[in-house]
Amino acid sequence: MPDATLADRAIVMRQARLHARISRRRAVSMLAWVLCGAALAALCLSIVWIIGLVLVRGIAALRPSLFTTVTQGTGGGLLNAIEGTCVLAFGTLLLVIPFGISAGIYAAEFRSSVWARVIRFLSDVLVGLPSIVLGYFGYVTMVEGLGWKFSVAAASITLAIICLPYVARTTEVALGEVPQSLREAAYAMGAGAGTVTLRISMRLAMPAVVTGVLLALAISVGETAPLLYTAGWSNYTWNGHLTGSPIGYLTYVIWAFINEPFAAAHALAYAAALLVTGMVLLISVASRMILLRAQRRM
Amino acid sequence: MKSYRAHLLAAGVIGLGTALAAPSQAAETRVLETGSSLLYPLFNLWVPVYTKDHKVEITTQSTGSGTGISEAVSGLAQIGASDAYLSPAMRKQHANMLNIPLAISSQMVNYNLPELNGRHLKLSGPVLAGIYDGTITDWDNKQIARLNPGVKLPHHAIIPIHRTDGSGDTFIFTQFLSDSTPHWQQAHGYGTTISWPAIQSEIGAEGNQGMVNALQQNPYSVAYIGISYKGAITQNKLGEAALENRAGKFVLANDKTVQAAAAALGGKTPADEAVSLIFQPGAESYPIINYEYAIVDAQMGNPPARDVRDFLSWSIRPDGGNAPHFMNQVNFVALPAAVRRLSQKQINEIGKEQNASN
Amino acid sequence: MTGARRAPGFGIGMNFRRLMAILGGSVPVSAVAIVLFLAVYAWPAIRFNGFGFIASNSWNLGSLYAEPVSQGGAMILPGAQYGILFLIVGTLLSTAIAMLIAVPVGVGAAVFLAEALPGRARLWLSFLVEMLAAVPSVVFGLWGYAVLIPLLGHYIFPLMTGLLGWIPWFGEPAGSGYGLLTAGLVLSLMIVPLIAATLRDAITAQPMYMREAAAALGATRFETIWKVILPGLRPVLIGAGILATGRALGETMAVLMVSGNALNVLPHSIYAPISTMAAFIASQLDSALQDPTGMATRALAEVALVLCLIAVLVNVLARLILARATAATSQQRA
Repeated sequence: MPDATLADRAIVMRQARLHARISRRRAVSMLAWVLCGAALAALCLSIVWIIGLVLVRGIAALRPSLFTTVTQGTGGGLLNAIEGTCVLAFGTLLLVIPFGISAGIYAAEFRSSVWARVIRFLSDVLVGLPSIVLGYFGYVTMVEGLGWKFSVAAASITLAIICLPYVARTTEVALGEVPQSLREAAYAMGAGAGTVTLRISMRLAMPAVVTGVLLALAISVGETAPLLYTAGWSNYTWNGHLTGSPIGYLTYVIWAFINEPFAAAHALAYAAALLVTGMVLLISVASRMILLRAQRRM
Repeated sequence: MKSYRAHLLAAGVIGLGTALAAPSQAAETRVLETGSSLLYPLFNLWVPVYTKDHKVEITTQSTGSGTGISEAVSGLAQIGASDAYLSPAMRKQHANMLNIPLAISSQMVNYNLPELNGRHLKLSGPVLAGIYDGTITDWDNKQIARLNPGVKLPHHAIIPIHRTDGSGDTFIFTQFLSDSTPHWQQAHGYGTTISWPAIQSEIGAEGNQGMVNALQQNPYSVAYIGISYKGAITQNKLGEAALENRAGKFVLANDKTVQAAAAALGGKTPADEAVSLIFQPGAESYPIINYEYAIVDAQMGNPPARDVRDFLSWSIRPDGGNAPHFMNQVNFVALPAAVRRLSQKQINEIGKEQNASN
Repeated sequence: MTGARRAPGFGIGMNFRRLMAILGGSVPVSAVAIVLFLAVYAWPAIRFNGFGFIASNSWNLGSLYAEPVSQGGAMILPGAQYGILFLIVGTLLSTAIAMLIAVPVGVGAAVFLAEALPGRARLWLSFLVEMLAAVPSVVFGLWGYAVLIPLLGHYIFPLMTGLLGWIPWFGEPAGSGYGLLTAGLVLSLMIVPLIAATLRDAITAQPMYMREAAAALGATRFETIWKVILPGLRPVLIGAGILATGRALGETMAVLMVSGNALNVLPHSIYAPISTMAAFIASQLDSALQDPTGMATRALAEVALVLCLIAVLVNVLARLILARATAATSQQRA
């Protein structure tokens, strides 16, 4: 039956083309997965490389005297830098927590008001300003303009301004997740806005808010450029003055000492890098764990 | 939920307590020295020795002479270290600023030529001017070959390295180029920062230390580096050029040639000690030498003024900071007696008005 | 009968709101203060420079050791001129290269993380990628300076000029390792986590029914992602991409340590040194302070202003797009 054979052959050929197309598509998909996997692998390789470098050379440079002696010229220890970083971080948090959380609260609780919209919009503007610009601002207005010279005050205020929008945004988003019914119930029982927000909404939102504050902490530990022009540098531990006296910090050591042609200076730079990266990663891990624990509870 | 607040409060109290309990050395005066990377190694030698016997805390910083000058002027630093004296415009605007020589230093011209780092290539001001403005592009250029007969120069592009920060080394190097090459003086002049002619392969580095690093990482490059980094140069097996002085002789920087140049100045250092020692006459004179200045505010208030005065007075004494074992480590030369007297007179001006009114 | 007694909570409520408004006002006040300050402080320089500021390549502080002269209505040092075209070009080019690398890599990594990994591996590898976001800028610069630049300058770039030298901008000389491509590479590493994490979350959030429908039609796993899921996420990708661009534009320390710090020259090849606006401000502020007329610091403020305007524009654009995208998807689901 010749007609049937022709029809069969046509069917078989169409099937073959279909199969070829499917295998081609499968091959292309396979290739695409390989590429995606390669992209992920490249990223993982990079992070392992960077952290590996810091770990290997940083650990090689660690000695107990790093934590007990101050920097002397291009050698010595990191006591002044470590203490300085802690002082600056503390000062920054002291400023950013009340102001940043308040901004987030206002933007979330009085969402439709004009001021809330202003806060939200300008928060986005503030977050986009590069940190060196804020350092420049801090230098001209506080270090020179107000006569504070290199100081903890100028540095902390500058860092706090950098961190404000992050804290505000996380607080606002966190409060947004709190169900409105909870608030309504509280209002129905006669509570005022303050009680409702602080005692009820914030309690629920606390894990996410803490994450925002930890982010601010990480930023203040890791920043360099704005501090160069507001904190200065000091080879000694903090003398308790908020103005008029410069202070040391770890990121300065990384930036300034890696350039010096002495091995002792390089060792300090890597040790400082290890400490800074370690601190920032710890904060990152802590944030994650807080969020996970909160999610599990919900 | 309650535990969060309690935890935060506890952390806050602990943090505050730690900060307040931090050892408060408010009793000791703090002095910030910032500026010249050329003078930085010497300050790092001085400070540990000086602070052992004197109650003062001196922080040293290498930021470039430009920063040293500007931070001393604005009061951010008590001692601005600079290889360059104050400009006339600065001095007019801030008549209370002093520039006080502490030592005499010099500058090398270094290069990284794989085959030739062991020998001293001969270079002159006009040749260097040609390299840095792009008219001389290759190492085997006729003008370089003429100065170095018999030397096999590589056929390769020259990579000039210059400072990106406000630098006293740039100041003295460009003064040398200006004094030795008229068309450089007209076209580019000198300063702690100049507008370097745009050359394709040129590299910018920060600080003397950055210059050493850049030189070492880039074969066929040339850089101007302060003498206090000679150790790093020899350690990295980089080359040093013999420079042509005003008398036409090619000399390296060492105590003899630097002192010859300083002597050629005669007694011509003015009272404010702002004077260039570049390209002095004399067969043995090294062409790039300079006073290392401490830029200080004469109207400094009294807690730091007294300590700054004492420290600077110690630093210029031949049995103090100007002692041979300090000078030799950085290859500097001690101040001649006449200049030391002028420096001491300026040092006595620091805080004088406050003292007089007390 | 209303007594003297206030409604409970009402009195406290108003004060609470006012307190939050005042404290929260720190955000708008800071933002406005900074931009206003820059504009006012830079005004003498803006007036002096005119349009030549963004059109010419001549950043010159003038003769620092000469007498200030009066020119263009202001006291300046002779020869002072401020043109930052090379900075604008350097900033835009390095960010463009960073995006060219970060977007494909970020999308690929996000897709792989969201679809191809079992739960445990996904968690840990996602965390690894987010660690990249946590590393401070100066540590990136340290790694770039200590490890990447020798590798690129001594081995990879010469190889590239050999293999790819026929493409314009990829040819000789291979340079020292400091330059445009290096800066772009380091920047891309810093912004990739932003793109990858956002996209991964968005992909996993997509409802299962779309995947099931595509599978029912015979699509391979990858085709489902590529042709069905991702197109719907285009706004998210664009938003995240623009945010990443904003971050890259403002990066200072890492770029400062690997870019080569070019002055007054435009790059002629992918390996040539560049300068970005943010890194320039950081490295030149000290020099600018030596100008007794103060015009140089004001010119730097003008650089900062230009950088701010670009960064703010980019950021606001991103937020608008993301807001519209989330509104659209919630409309879709409804």
